[in-house]
Amino acid sequence: MVDVAQLVEHWLVVPVVAGSSPVIHPTMSLAQPDEVLEERTLIEPDRAWSTVVWNDPVNLMTYVTHVFRTYFGYPRPEAERLMLLVHHEGRATVASGPREEMERHTEAMHEFGLWATVERV
Amino acid sequence: MRVQRRRGDVVVVGLDAVGRDLLTSLAAQYDEVLHDDEGDDAVHDRLFPAAYRDDPDADDEFRRYTYEGLVDRKSANAGRIAASIAAAGDGRILLDPDAVGAWLPALTDLRLVIAERLGIRRDDDPVPDGQLGQVYRWLAELQARLVDAVDR
Repeated sequence: MVDVAQLVEHWLVVPVVAGSSPVIHPTMSLAQPDEVLEERTLIEPDRAWSTVVWNDPVNLMTYVTHVFRTYFGYPRPEAERLMLLVHHEGRATVASGPREEMERHTEAMHEFGLWATVERV
Repeated sequence: MRVQRRRGDVVVVGLDAVGRDLLTSLAAQYDEVLHDDEGDDAVHDRLFPAAYRDDPDADDEFRRYTYEGLVDRKSANAGRIAASIAAAGDGRILLDPDAVGAWLPALTDLRLVIAERLGIRRDDDPVPDGQLGQVYRWLAELQARLVDAVDR
């Protein structure tokens, strides 16, 4: 474990402005059952686009798996397979379908702190 | 640092006063970085990566539609960290699933920002031993324990 005792005074890289208390909004829920339904319904007609998640040196493997499970609704084995693809191959296609849908997934991945792009299949 | 899941899907986080102050400070700094349009481009690119690799026009349009919403939601996540800690006072921090859903992405982004400052850009880049490196490791441990607690 890291001893944080002497850390707190030293990492004020950006000074905190007095009185700038962050605004609290209702935050997104990790569980999005609607997403799962939509994943199923959009499988067919338009698969011209995909959402690709790329490897980065920061994200924890367990967290990436967690995101794939909770956001896309993938079962744990599939979520882990995709996570390992990202880790070993540098990228994995995590969804495919209409462009707007893939942009929405990409935006969600950016919200989770994952590096994702929209790609033409 | 102790992280345990309780009945009712509540995760209990035990941090000492120094850890609570550190995290509160980091969350406030992260919130400032989010709203600093004149800030470090490399940090910004990590928090808001390009959605299209080879199509600047498509990427511009993507940003036009998503950027403000992303800033707002990331900022709300940072605020949620501060609020959870403030609500706990000197005691243990209680996180319901919604709060965990705010903490995890914010911890990720904090680590992305610090990684950029530390020059960690590839899998085999070492984490420096200095204080910021220790903060980076500490955040990783906290995040790992939170993920373990909710995924068990």
